[in-house]
Formats: sequence, structure tokens, C-alpha cells
Amino acid sequence: MSAPLVLGIETSCDETGVALVRGKDLLFDAVASSMDEHARFGGIIPEIASRAHLEAMVPTIRRALEGADVDLGQVDAIAVTAGPGLVGPLTIGAAAAKALSIGLGVPLYGVNHVIGHAAVDELVHGSFPDQVMALVVSGGHSSLLLVDDIVTGVTELGSTLDDAAGEAFDKVGRLLGLPYPGGPHIDRLAREGDPTAIRFPRGLTAAKDQAEHAYDFSFSGLKTAVARWVETRTDAGQEIPVADVAASFAAAVADVLTAKTIAACRRHGVSTLVIGGGFSANSQLRDLAAVRCAEAGIELRIPPIRFCTDNGAMIAALGSAALSRGVAPSRLDLPVDSSMPLIRVTV
Amino acid sequence: MPVLALDTSAAVSVALIDAEGRTLATRVVHEERRHAEQLAPMIADVLAATGTDRTALTGIVVGTGPAPFTGLRVGLVSARALGLALDIPVHGVCGLDAIAAQAAIDLSLAAGTEVLVVTDARRREVYWARYRVAGAAPQSLRVELVAGPGVASAAQVAADGHADGAIVVGPGASLYPEQLPPVDGAPTDPDPVVLARLALARVALGEDLPTEPLYLRRPDVVAPAPRKHVVTPAARKRALA
Repeated sequence: MSAPLVLGIETSCDETGVALVRGKDLLFDAVASSMDEHARFGGIIPEIASRAHLEAMVPTIRRALEGADVDLGQVDAIAVTAGPGLVGPLTIGAAAAKALSIGLGVPLYGVNHVIGHAAVDELVHGSFPDQVMALVVSGGHSSLLLVDDIVTGVTELGSTLDDAAGEAFDKVGRLLGLPYPGGPHIDRLAREGDPTAIRFPRGLTAAKDQAEHAYDFSFSGLKTAVARWVETRTDAGQEIPVADVAASFAAAVADVLTAKTIAACRRHGVSTLVIGGGFSANSQLRDLAAVRCAEAGIELRIPPIRFCTDNGAMIAALGSAALSRGVAPSRLDLPVDSSMPLIRVTV
Repeated sequence: MPVLALDTSAAVSVALIDAEGRTLATRVVHEERRHAEQLAPMIADVLAATGTDRTALTGIVVGTGPAPFTGLRVGLVSARALGLALDIPVHGVCGLDAIAAQAAIDLSLAAGTEVLVVTDARRREVYWARYRVAGAAPQSLRVELVAGPGVASAAQVAADGHADGAIVVGPGASLYPEQLPPVDGAPTDPDPVVLARLALARVALGEDLPTEPLYLRRPDVVAPAPRKHVVTPAARKRALA
């Protein structure tokens, strides 16, 4: 008998993602994005995203079914992002998932978006070993998770105290006059600059922070330091070496993320690291993580970029994992939770 | 041959009616938030309470607003997804149409009477639409749209003459009785049973009933503020000295 077929729905931000997963095999992943409608505002506008989700939902489900070559009637369970994310967008996905659950007479699993970013790697690189460390970094999240079991054993070791890594990139991008979202532009510029040109601060790496914040991140001070450096130069009528600023800033972010993550792996004796979330597309982070993991003898797993940005496959993967472990399904009155804690994998 | 009707424009309401328009079950929860948590259990409940197998449903009817956005979308996306799952048609009906049709019945309005329906649009505004009662018999659901739907302050709706010579009904009127004096005994929220009957009548006439939301307002977009400088003027002076 083949493994159950799970349909996953993701709507926590601007992407409408729908995917079909059977066991740990991805059949098809369909994504519609409203990013083009937000770019001119310099950030995601929740109401614009919500309107786009409503219009994209049924067409994206149809596209996923066609791509996977299955009928809706064959689906054994529905998984949906319950949080964290933007309330308006989350609400659309949850309502659609509940209606599908009723209409098909199949169980519903509300799952955690951030943990989904780690879970998706099992579809790409196979089952996790007994223990993995997961670094989930995006425009909205920067979290370090110790994973004994992706459904029943996730421990949050740390997270950002202020800006997420991708958020800091977007803000520095704006400071440097780059288009939104700034992340990819800084990444590109940084490859042409000198990462050692300017020594920007590494947040929460001082000895005094190690007791309480060994695995937490802070990028707000770094962002301010970059702004101060650029403004002081500008006020003095000096040219801004944009590529060097981008490279030095990106190096600071990658340094802190990888140093703390490797330290956590050593501390907990974990030899496999998964990096997920949209910011794992960042080449400075990828390069430094590869070098440091090799030095430390840690296996590095990063899913392809289309599975790092928000997608339905990550939600279907986590729903499928929940189903396989016999976790109780969610109730039809499940609430969405914009700040869903990472100790909750399912609701 | 039951039809499921739902509306999330203000309260969350669900009804199951048969092909002749008879009510089999209704559920209403008057809560202006948490629509997404309320609606699905209510749908499951009307099916269970009437012993209706979900696969017996032959159509879905949904109120398309105008209404506050988040709640409205819960109803629309639920209806569309349920229609997809069951492979049955989904019909949209403007909620103000249902209130006008209900008013015509409840108040025994004569053909030709004009009705202004106003509901709460928040932000000190109302959603409004003006109708003419077209059918003669008291059970007729025939109301014709004369003007609207729109969104404006009650004072503006009155100043534009939309209430002139019309009977004013709906919850928006009781909020602004000085500008839009309501009649007694009129319905307030759209009744999903009436929505469903309107939909069946319109489908029988061959009308296409899309489920596009009547937002009537553009999204709130706050343009990004100019970036604040982190170097203070005093520090700047020192740096330049």
C-alpha cells in the first residue's frame, strides 16, 4: 500500500503555495506570488497579499493537482500553515484548508511554518538522521532549532531578538538606495566588494551575552552601524564604496549566523546542519556555512532555492510527517497564530 | 438536493435549504471577529444535524459583501474550496440584495417601492445600495438594483439623495438614525436562506453569479516613511569639524 497523499497549503506571507506529497515524495509544488504588487511599496502590504491569496487559491490548487496528476478525491489529508505569519494571509489558507477537509472528508493538520522550512529538506535530501540542527532564516524569521524529531522533538535554541536576517538586508538595501527587496541586490554587490573593508559589529557575540544569548541573534545594531558609517561618509562629502559596504555587511551577517550555529552543533554533538528559509539563498551565508561545516566535520544540507522561499511542499512535508507519527488532527476551529511559538509543530 | 448557503459579512451564518428553497437548518453566530474559527464547525454542524452527506450537496451560495475584508474572504474562500472539493457550482450574491429582498417580504412592500439598504462599513461609513421592489406577491424575491452598491458616510449618502423617497433598512441606519432614519421591523443581517433563494431564482433565469468580493475600498497602503538618519546633527557637526 502506498503512503498517504497530503495536500499542503501555505499562505503566511505573499506566496500562495500548494503542493502534493506522498510520504516523503514530492509530486508537485505550485506557487503564485504577489511580490510584484508589493515591490513599489518597499514592503509586503498585508491587504494586497490577502486579496491575491483569495484569487490565487483555487487556481493554484488546480495547478498542483494537474502537475501531480492526481484527483482531489485521492487526497488523504490536508496540511496548512497555522502560523507564524501575517494574520490576513494565514486566515485565507486556513479557511480554504478547512473547507477542503470538510468537502473531502479527510483530516486537517495545522502546522508551523518555520518548522516546515526545515522539514522540506527531507523531500530533497532524504530522511533526517537521529538529530539535526536547523537554521531557519528569512525575511521574517531567524531561528536555530535542535531537531530530535521534526514533529515531536523540536527545541528552539535561539532566535533573533529584533530584525530577521533577510529584514536587515532589505533595510540596508534601502539605505544604499537599492530596489526592494534589497537582499538579492546586496548579495550581488557583495560579490564584487571586499568583505574585510569595514569591520561591522557582530551582534550578541560578546562574552557577556554568552550566558543568556549564546544562540540568539540581533541584527538591529549592525543595521544602525552600517547607517552611521554611510551617513558619516556622505556628510563628509565622500564617495560610498557600495560594494565594500555590502560585502562587509553581508560578511557580518553570515559570520554571526554560522558561528553561532556551528557552536550549537558542537555543544549538542550534532553532525548534520539544515539551513532553510528564503535567506538561505544568500550566497555569503551559503559559502561561509560550507567552509565552516567542512572544517567542523558537519554535513550541510540546504534545499534548492525554490524550496527555501515559501512554498506548499514544506507544509505538505510537515503534515505528512505528522500523519505518519499518528499525531491527532487539528480541529475545524483551529485558530491561526501570527506569532505561533516554535515549540508547537502542529495545532 | 440540498444547497449550502453561507455569509460572513457581519455575523457568521450558515443555512442548508432544499431545492424548493425550504429551510433544513440554520446556524448564526454574532461575533465580528474569529470568522475563520467559527465558520467551518458551523458548516460541519448543519450537515451533521440534518444527516446530510456532504456529497449530496448540489450547490454552494455565498454572500459577496460588501463587508469588512478579512471576514468576507473567509466566506468566499471557504465556499470556493468547498465547491472545488465537491465539484459543485458556487454562486455569489450581494448581501445587500438579500437584506432588500427580506425587507420586501417582512414589511409587505408593494411593487415599485424603493428601499435603501445600509450596513456598517466601520470607519464612520456605511455600505449602501438602493433597490426597487419588482415583484407583486409578498413572497417574491424580486428586487432590482437602482443605485450602488457604494461606501460613504451616512451624511453623504443622505446628501446624495439616495434615501429620498425610499424606505431605509439595515444595521447602518440604526447607527446613523439622524442622517438615515430607519423603519421599524426591518431585517438587519443578510439571511443565508434568502441568499440561497435569490441565487436559485437567478440561476433559474440563467444568470451568472460570480463570487468576486465587493470590497468597494482600495487596500490601505501606507507609503514608506523617509528613512530616519541615525547620525544626530550634533554628531554630524563634530564629525565634520
